[in-house]
Amino acid sequence: MDYSEIEKQIARRRQVLNELAPIDAGVWLGEPEGFPLACEMKPEDLDAFGGRYSLHGCLVSHWWGKTAGAAQGNAALGRPMGDDRYVVWTALPRYPSEPGLLPGPDLRPDYVKGVRIFPRAHNFLMSRWQIGGLCEWLERSRVPLFVWHTELEWDALYTLVGEFPRLRVIVETQPLKILYATRKLFALMKERSNVLVELSNFAGAGFIEYAVREFGAQRLIYGSFAPMNDPLVPLGMIIDASITVEEKRLLAGDNLRQLLREVGS
Amino acid sequence: MNNSFIIDAHTHIDSPGIYFTPRFDCRDLIDLMDLLGIRVSICSDHFSIFRGSGEGLERLLKICEESAGRIYGLAVFDPRKEGDLPAIRQRIGRPGLVGIKIHPSFHRTEPESPAYEPIWRLAAENDLPILTHSWSVSEHNPSQRYSTPERFEHYIKRYPSVRLVLGHAGGRGTGRGEMVRMVNTYPNVYTDIAGDIFCLDLIESLVRQIPAERILFGSDFPWLDPRANLTRIYLSEISVHGKQLILQENAQKVYRIP
Repeated sequence: MDYSEIEKQIARRRQVLNELAPIDAGVWLGEPEGFPLACEMKPEDLDAFGGRYSLHGCLVSHWWGKTAGAAQGNAALGRPMGDDRYVVWTALPRYPSEPGLLPGPDLRPDYVKGVRIFPRAHNFLMSRWQIGGLCEWLERSRVPLFVWHTELEWDALYTLVGEFPRLRVIVETQPLKILYATRKLFALMKERSNVLVELSNFAGAGFIEYAVREFGAQRLIYGSFAPMNDPLVPLGMIIDASITVEEKRLLAGDNLRQLLREVGS
Repeated sequence: MNNSFIIDAHTHIDSPGIYFTPRFDCRDLIDLMDLLGIRVSICSDHFSIFRGSGEGLERLLKICEESAGRIYGLAVFDPRKEGDLPAIRQRIGRPGLVGIKIHPSFHRTEPESPAYEPIWRLAAENDLPILTHSWSVSEHNPSQRYSTPERFEHYIKRYPSVRLVLGHAGGRGTGRGEMVRMVNTYPNVYTDIAGDIFCLDLIESLVRQIPAERILFGSDFPWLDPRANLTRIYLSEISVHGKQLILQENAQKVYRIP
């Protein structure tokens, strides 16, 4: 049996993966919700996970930020161990003020490099009168805002990112497939240059080439949504994409590196 | 790409309409196949899935004939459409037609329904495999209850010679365990990994639970890009022989692809 073609493809993919130097925007600790086949990832698993997928860094989130409460999730994350490993805290509106570890002008440890909101799960609106204070601070401190596409109202996000043009919003393609929202997502990305998309489920036919051509490679951010999802899905999309090597590096890590560098600047 | 050998055992053509996708037609599919070393795609058309076989099937078979062995077709059977069975029967033996596709969730029909009996009989009489959509019970999509893997047991018991492919590995919930049980119980039951079954270590866990000889690579183009599932097979921690089976040989066997 001749396995030479398979062995060639394996070697090529390993080499490209190393050259991409990926940073993962979506690694999750804690017990997953709605993914009965997924195993929980623990902090001590992160080193092996990073090694397996040739990661050069990651942003870690905690499921409790959604399922238990924002402050509980942020407390559970703790300070990440290891170089180039940062966390995404869960945020709530600035008013009414609530106790606990919640991100804002008076509380953002250096290792917190992103903020996520769950407007549906936590019952608030994505309107200026509700989260304008939070957005003003995020915009001023250059902290990117992450939000699952299932948690947002598209009209409200369109208005919000227009009102805060320096706020970078990363629309995450989880926990359900983004496919059915592509007419809204792509139109929003066309209209609002401060909207970026995370790639874990950005896997429709030709999506990468289309988005790079329409919006530019700077608008796509690699994230895995592990351990619910396989990092090799979005990485595979990047590895075989018909785009330049420089564009692949942007998607896999350089875009996120740039965002992280700007936090707090 | 030279040295194309892969068989993508689960693709579609045409836009399904319910979402935007930039690439969905036969030319787009062949372009991706060329890029990725995919020699053959097994395809059913969305027009037939949503509107019934006949016009769509005829167009698909023409595409198969013109593709010079790159695309093989599955005839969609919707048990609610009276015209589907005769349309399929009339085209048995046409070059490129290699099996039947059923989708109880889209077609809102219990898979044990007597309405499916004629297509199972036709498949048995003509040595044609059946690819079915299969999934797990889902709170987001209640119609998936029509396609949980154990529900196909009714007919596979009656037609044990028919090769049945449970698409999408039974989904991402309880359907997975049922798919595993079905494959391990019935020698002619297979599964494919088409769609966004993006679970971590999917390939490794499937190979631990069922024979690698029963797992087929599939993309679900244009719902998903073939690139989403390819690298995870190549870099999975299974034997190279297992990868060869999944990427090529199993589909060749099930669909009798030369």
